[in-house]
Amino acid sequence: MAAAEIAALLLTWTPFLAGGFAWNILISLVAMIIGTIFGALLAWLRLSGHTPLAHASLVVTELTRNIPTFVFLFYLAFLIPTEFEFSGQIYAFPVWLKASLAFSVAVIGFVSDNLLVALQHRERHNHAAALLFIPSWTTYLLIIVMASSTASVIGVGEIVSRCNIVIAAVGGNETMLWVYTYAICYFLVFCFPLNWAMGCARRRLLTRVGVPAL
Amino acid sequence: MGRCPGFRAACLLVLIVIMVGREAQADRLDLIQKRGTLIVGVKSDYPPFGMLDAHGRLIGFEPDLAAELARRLGVGLQLVAVTSTNRLQKLEEGAVDMVIATLGDSPQRRQIATLVEPGYYASGATAVAPPTPRLSSWTDLRGKKVCATQGAYFNRPMAQRFLLDLQIFNGTRDARLALRDGRCVAWLYDDTSFAGLLADPEWANYETPLPSMMISPWAIALSAKEQGSRLEQMISEAVADWHRSAWLIDVEKRWGIRPSQYLVEMRALWTRRQADGGLLCARLENGNWPAECRHKWLLKSADVGGIQHFGLLLKEQTGLNMTIIYDAYDRLLFLRGLWITLQLMVACIAGSLIVGCLGALAAESGFPGVRTCVQMSAALGRMTPPLLLIYLVFFGVGHIIVSRFGWTFDGASIVIVCLSTYTGCAIVSALLEAVSVLKEQQPDFRLGWRELPQALRLSYAAVVASLVNVVKATGMASVIAVPELVSAATAIVAEQGNPEVMMNVLMITYFLLVTTVVQIFNYLERRIPELGRR
Repeated sequence: MAAAEIAALLLTWTPFLAGGFAWNILISLVAMIIGTIFGALLAWLRLSGHTPLAHASLVVTELTRNIPTFVFLFYLAFLIPTEFEFSGQIYAFPVWLKASLAFSVAVIGFVSDNLLVALQHRERHNHAAALLFIPSWTTYLLIIVMASSTASVIGVGEIVSRCNIVIAAVGGNETMLWVYTYAICYFLVFCFPLNWAMGCARRRLLTRVGVPAL
Repeated sequence: MGRCPGFRAACLLVLIVIMVGREAQADRLDLIQKRGTLIVGVKSDYPPFGMLDAHGRLIGFEPDLAAELARRLGVGLQLVAVTSTNRLQKLEEGAVDMVIATLGDSPQRRQIATLVEPGYYASGATAVAPPTPRLSSWTDLRGKKVCATQGAYFNRPMAQRFLLDLQIFNGTRDARLALRDGRCVAWLYDDTSFAGLLADPEWANYETPLPSMMISPWAIALSAKEQGSRLEQMISEAVADWHRSAWLIDVEKRWGIRPSQYLVEMRALWTRRQADGGLLCARLENGNWPAECRHKWLLKSADVGGIQHFGLLLKEQTGLNMTIIYDAYDRLLFLRGLWITLQLMVACIAGSLIVGCLGALAAESGFPGVRTCVQMSAALGRMTPPLLLIYLVFFGVGHIIVSRFGWTFDGASIVIVCLSTYTGCAIVSALLEAVSVLKEQQPDFRLGWRELPQALRLSYAAVVASLVNVVKATGMASVIAVPELVSAATAIVAEQGNPEVMMNVLMITYFLLVTTVVQIFNYLERRIPELGRR
């Protein structure tokens, strides 16, 4: 396949694939929001001083840390009904929300652990160290964005499943190579600048705290 | 005596009732032979299994079976057209001796009729699809829009097992049109009905590329009273003979029906011999066929012994269908999946450490430009979703290598390489950060083989976090059909329809595996505090 041909092909499908990538970001953001709410609750409970509650939150955090997201994705896909009835009305449970829920479990563990450290710093009026939570949170968002590509296995119409649709529609063996590489570029373009900015933020905060960068 | 005519009348009535009762209880086989005619209910609207010819006579696959039974009994044959709604009712009324009318065997129907084992044919769910894009397995349809016809027994279970996005239409015609207009990628349909549809030239282009699922065997039905009767025994023996002699396959061919996998498998099963030379499927002392020759889902705990008895009892009592306990095939599939997953986990941990350490060593080797190069690659590697990397290598690069050099790689090694690269990149970054801290502490520090443990010790938490993540991610191998734990679990769900049980088993197994790995790393951290502190 000539380079011009490949470029034309990718250009034709760009709106479709970009739409898929928007889903990746949406799924990840929803997962981060759900995970942050519950993770913050756990971190707060761990600090609350009620020993049984603090202990229980620690156990829940341990649990979420050891749940493999990929397997949990299948778990929710098979076990949450596609439709449910609520006061006589039938509602659909969208599959992307199942994916968000699956990813949010990993976020809960992350937020519970990292926010706990940040809150402890704040209690000691070590505000710069507490602020380190923000770059960590953003970096974790990037990890979830990359994990969101696995949502394709349960049929979410995000970028990887759209790649497969494009490949099926266009045919040809070399297409696969280029379409997948193109999809990887989306992730690189999105993650690289954010990751770099967060790295800078972290280093600046660390110098304010006076700890050597690690 | 004239005093009590009522008593005499009552006696007479009782006598009549007893006589009639006896007559009704008399063997149906005797009745058929006395009558000299076998009356069989068959379909008239299900070509080519049961249909009307130009003269209005009932012909087809099922009438042929009826004729063969009449020949064996040495009596004449009378065929009666029945429909799906009235076939069991006619049987109960006694209007027909038996029904051979595309009747699927199920526990519910066994409550109201005697269904003869073994079955003589089987239907299942198939996917009718245009030739492109070519479907290679049912999982290709996961999450896709699939048309279906209202009321088919397999709609709901198939949607659950393969996570199909079903578009249910009221009639066959609507579903056909929707498929033709591309509103769905495939049409979930009964494989035996599709045989009749193929005659239509409009359907010549369509294919059924996938193996039939949810196979439901068709049984000859007798009235409920015939359970264990001579007639049942005789028919059961006849059907077994048909399987052994491949006569059913001949009849299938005669009617131009696409060869059914079920008949091929049944022929193999019914002709299989035991070590002593006797047939595997020979009647037991209690008159039943052995459990191996009966349909698995029709077995009750009382029919079998050992661990299978326990598993079926659990299912009957609690509804938990733990097929991996009592079904030898599922158990093997699951254990093999567990074994492959364990191997993948160990290989990925080792691979990630090797990539990480080699990368860090290369970066610190002091050659000009190598450090920047390694750091760039590590950053790139960390920002490539591993699933896309697996697809890219397996389908994209893999295909080019096969076509240019003829080398093939198996899926498992590709997954190990991809996941190790992804995780290795994270480890490189962690090691390099540790090295920069060490350099601040000891200005003459330089990373070499000997200093590696020291750097690993300092970055232990970050490295272990990456390794635990790669262990969790091994399930991704299922996307390219490596038969590991996730593949095994979804395959069992597809076959048995027990997602509640299997998904919980899978989740718990994986959780325990991950927890074990975490514990091992914690143990190592405690046991080797001297690591790197020379």
